[in-house]
Amino acid sequence: MLSYIIRRTLMAIPLLLGITVVSFAIMKFAPGDPTSLMMDPTISQADKAKFMERYGLNDPVYIQYFKWLGAMLQGDFGTSLIRKGVPVMEMIMNRMPNTILLMVVSTMLAVVISIPFGVISATKAYSKLDYSVTITSFLGVATPNFFLGLILIMVFAVQLNWFPTGGVSTLNEPFSIWDRIHHLFLPAFVLAAADMAGLTRYTRSSMMEVIKQDYIRTARAKGFKEQKVIYKHGLRNGLIPVITIFGLMIPSFIGGAVIVEKIFTWPGIGLLFVDSAFQRDYPVIMGLTVISAVFVVIGNLVADILYAIFDPRIEY
Amino acid sequence: MKLRKTSWLVISLTLILSLFLTACAGNTPEKTTGTTDKDGTKNEEAAGEPQKGGDLIIGSTGSPTLFNSLYSTDTASSDIESFIYDGLVTSDTEFNPTFSMAEDIKASEDGLTYTAKLKKGIKWHDGEEFTADDVVFTFMIPKNPDYVGERGSNFESLEKVTKIDDYTVEFKLSKRDASFYPVTLSYFILPEHILKDVPVAELGEHEFNTKSPIGTGPFKFVEWKDGEYVKVEAFDDYFKGRPNLDSLTYKIVPDMDAMIAQIQAGDIDFAAGVPGTDIETVKSFPGVKVESGLALSYTYLGYNQKNDLFKDKKVRQALTHAIDREAIVNSVMNGDGKVADVPESPLSFAYNDDVPKFGYDVEKAKSLLAEAGWKDTDGDGILDKDGKKFSFTVKTNQGNKVREDIVVVLQEQLKNVGIEAKPEIVEWSAFIEQISAPNWNYDALVLGWSLSTFPDQYDIFHSSQMKEGLNFVWYSNPEADKLMEEAKQILDQDEYKKAYADIYKMIAEDQPYTFLYYPNVHRVMPENLQGYVFHAKDDYYEIYKWWLKK
Repeated sequence: MLSYIIRRTLMAIPLLLGITVVSFAIMKFAPGDPTSLMMDPTISQADKAKFMERYGLNDPVYIQYFKWLGAMLQGDFGTSLIRKGVPVMEMIMNRMPNTILLMVVSTMLAVVISIPFGVISATKAYSKLDYSVTITSFLGVATPNFFLGLILIMVFAVQLNWFPTGGVSTLNEPFSIWDRIHHLFLPAFVLAAADMAGLTRYTRSSMMEVIKQDYIRTARAKGFKEQKVIYKHGLRNGLIPVITIFGLMIPSFIGGAVIVEKIFTWPGIGLLFVDSAFQRDYPVIMGLTVISAVFVVIGNLVADILYAIFDPRIEY
Repeated sequence: MKLRKTSWLVISLTLILSLFLTACAGNTPEKTTGTTDKDGTKNEEAAGEPQKGGDLIIGSTGSPTLFNSLYSTDTASSDIESFIYDGLVTSDTEFNPTFSMAEDIKASEDGLTYTAKLKKGIKWHDGEEFTADDVVFTFMIPKNPDYVGERGSNFESLEKVTKIDDYTVEFKLSKRDASFYPVTLSYFILPEHILKDVPVAELGEHEFNTKSPIGTGPFKFVEWKDGEYVKVEAFDDYFKGRPNLDSLTYKIVPDMDAMIAQIQAGDIDFAAGVPGTDIETVKSFPGVKVESGLALSYTYLGYNQKNDLFKDKKVRQALTHAIDREAIVNSVMNGDGKVADVPESPLSFAYNDDVPKFGYDVEKAKSLLAEAGWKDTDGDGILDKDGKKFSFTVKTNQGNKVREDIVVVLQEQLKNVGIEAKPEIVEWSAFIEQISAPNWNYDALVLGWSLSTFPDQYDIFHSSQMKEGLNFVWYSNPEADKLMEEAKQILDQDEYKKAYADIYKMIAEDQPYTFLYYPNVHRVMPENLQGYVFHAKDDYYEIYKWWLKK
C-alpha cells in the first residue's frame, strides 16, 4: 500500500510539470498584460515599459517559464505584479482556509445527504419517496450553480433576510462559530447541490445493482436483519463506483467554487483566481494553478486509497 | 410510470415559476413606499449639529492593491489613500486648487519657482510632526532614477526640491508647467521618518504600502482583510478636526449585481459608481438616498485614422451626423447623461461649447458621404468606393453594459446611411492590447475618458502621442499640436481657457471622435448621512465632515 502511494506520488510529478507548461503557455498567449489596467492619461508609456522591464515581462516566454519554474521548485512562488511586493504564497494562504472550509463543508453536506437518500431510493425503488428524490436530484443536476445561488440570495437573503448576502463574517462583530455557520450555509448548500444530485443518482443505481446480487440474498437467507443486510453487506459494495465518481468530482469542486465564491463574495482562492486572471497577475495565476493541480492529484489519490479500503478484492 | 414522472415535472416547474413570481412581486410594494418616504423627509433634515460616531460601510467592486499614491494605479487604492493621506493642495468642488497641508504657495514671476509654506502642528498617525523633510522626501522619490512606478510623468517638469526651513519648501521647475500646481502638488505626502532608509528601488514593494501605511489624513489604517474589507478609524489629531464618523469599512464585492443586492439587504451603506441603468431600482430601496451629478468624463466613438475609411474629415463629420446621440442617451441610458460635442467636461473651467456641432441629420450625412466619393453602386444597401465597401467593426470592452448596448444601436443607426458597423465586444486586457500601440488593431471603438481636474488634451490628441501614447486614433493636426504645446506653458487660468477655446474648435471640427455623451455619476448613501457635498471627481470629498444622524 505504502509503495503504491509513493509510486502514485512520483507519477504525479511529470503530470504537474505538464500542467504548469500548458497553463503558462495559455496564460502568456492570452492577449494583454498587467499594464492594461494602467490606461490612464497621466501614466506615460515610458513608465509602463519600465514596469515590464523590471518584472522581466519582455523576456521570451520560455525564459520567463524557466525562471518561474526554477524559483517555484525552490518553494518561491514570487510576488504579485499588481499588489506589488506581496508574496503569492501569502495571498493564497490568506484565502485558502476559506476555500477549504467551504469545500469540506459542502462535500460533507453532499455526502451526508445524498448517500442515505440514494440508498433509500434504491431499497424503496419506484415508491413515491423514490420519485421525489429522483425529481429533486434531476432538478439539482439541471440547475446551474450561479442560478441557484442568485435565487437563494434573492429569496433568503434579500427578501426574507434569514441569511447574509455574502461574505464570511458579519463586519464589525467579533468572531463566532454561529456567525460563520450562518454565512457558510447558503454557499455550501449551492456548491453541494449539484454534487448531491449526482451522488444520489449514482448511489441509487449502484445500490440497485448490488441488492440484486446473490450474496445479498444469501445474507438475507442467513436471517440477518434487513438493516444490516443493506448497510453492512450492500452499502460497502454499492459505494465502490460512487467513490470513483467522488474522486472525479474534486476538480469540479474547485471549478464550482470559483462561481460560488463570486456570487457569495466568499473570499477564497476561486475569487482570487478570477481577479488575477482579469488583471493578468501572472505569478498569482501560476501559484493558484499549481495549488489546485496538487489538490486534484491528491484528491484522486485519496479516492484510489479509499477504493482499496472499501473493496477488499483490490490489492496494491 | 412515465406519465407519472412527467406530471411530477410539471408540478415542480410550476413551483419554480411561482418562486420567481414571489421574488418579483416582493419588490413592487417597497418601490412605492420607499420613494415617497424619501422625498418627504429629504428637505427637512438639512440642519442640525454633527453627531459623532458610527461606522460607514462603503462598497467597492474593485480590490485595492497598495496604499501609496506614487505606486498605485487603481481606484480602490486611491479611495483608501484619500482616507489615510493628505497632500499640500487639494481641489474644491469647482476643481480650483485649495490649500490642504500648505499654508500658502507662491509662484515666482517666471513660473519656475514655487515656494510652499506648510501648516504647523500637523501630526502623523504615529504622533510625529509633519515637516518640510516629509515634503522633500516625497517629491524626491519620483525624481530618483531607481524609481519604478507609473507616476513619473507628473513630476517631469520638477527639477529640484529644497528645504528652506522646517515649514518652507522650494520647488524648482525646469520649464513652465500649468499642471504643476493643481496636479503635482496634490500628491499625497509620505512620512520621511519611517521610509527614509528604504532604498527607492524597493519602495514600491515595501510592506509599508500594504501592511502599515501611516499618513496625516483623517483616518488611520487598521486592517486589510484580503478579499473582504479594509478598515480605517478616525484619527483624533487630524489637523482639520477629528472626523465625525468613528470608522470606515471599505467592503470589497465581486461585481455590481452583488453590490446592489447588498445595498438592498442593508449590508452596504455607501456605494459610488452604480450605473445609471440600475439607479432607479436602487432608489426604491428603503433607507437609501441617491446623490447624482455630472461625472468628469465623456464617452466617445473613436475612429482609427490609420484606416483609409476614416482619413477624410468629411467622412468623420458625416458619421457624427448619422448618429442620433440624443436617442442613445434616452434609450440606452434612460436619459441619464448629456450629449457631448467637446472633448472636455462642462464641469471644467476650460469648457467652451462654442465649437462646430454635427447634430443628427441623416440627409446631411448622406450628402457629405457622397461628396467624399461614397456611393452605393452595386445596390446592396452599403456604400462603396473604388470597389471597397463602407464596412467596419466597432469594438468596445466587455462588462460595461451601456457601451455594449451602444455598439448595437450604432449598427442600426449607421445602416440608415448605408454603412455597415459590426459590433465586437472584447475582454478588457485583450481590448487594450488590441487597440493600443503597437497594434492599433481596430476600426472604431467606443470608450470613455475619465478626465483630470486640470484640463489638458495633450496626452490624448497631440500627434507626438500617436506612436506610443494615448492618441491611438492617430489624430494629427499640426496647428492644434502647436496650440496644445503652447497652452502647457500658460499659467493664467483665463489665458488658458482662451487658448483651449481654439483647441476645442479645431478638434471638434476634425471629429477624430464622435463625442457621444457626458455620463452622470451616482452615489448611493444612507438616508441619514449628513455633511456630504457633491464633488464630481472625489466620491469622498471632505469625508471628515460626514456624519450619521441618529
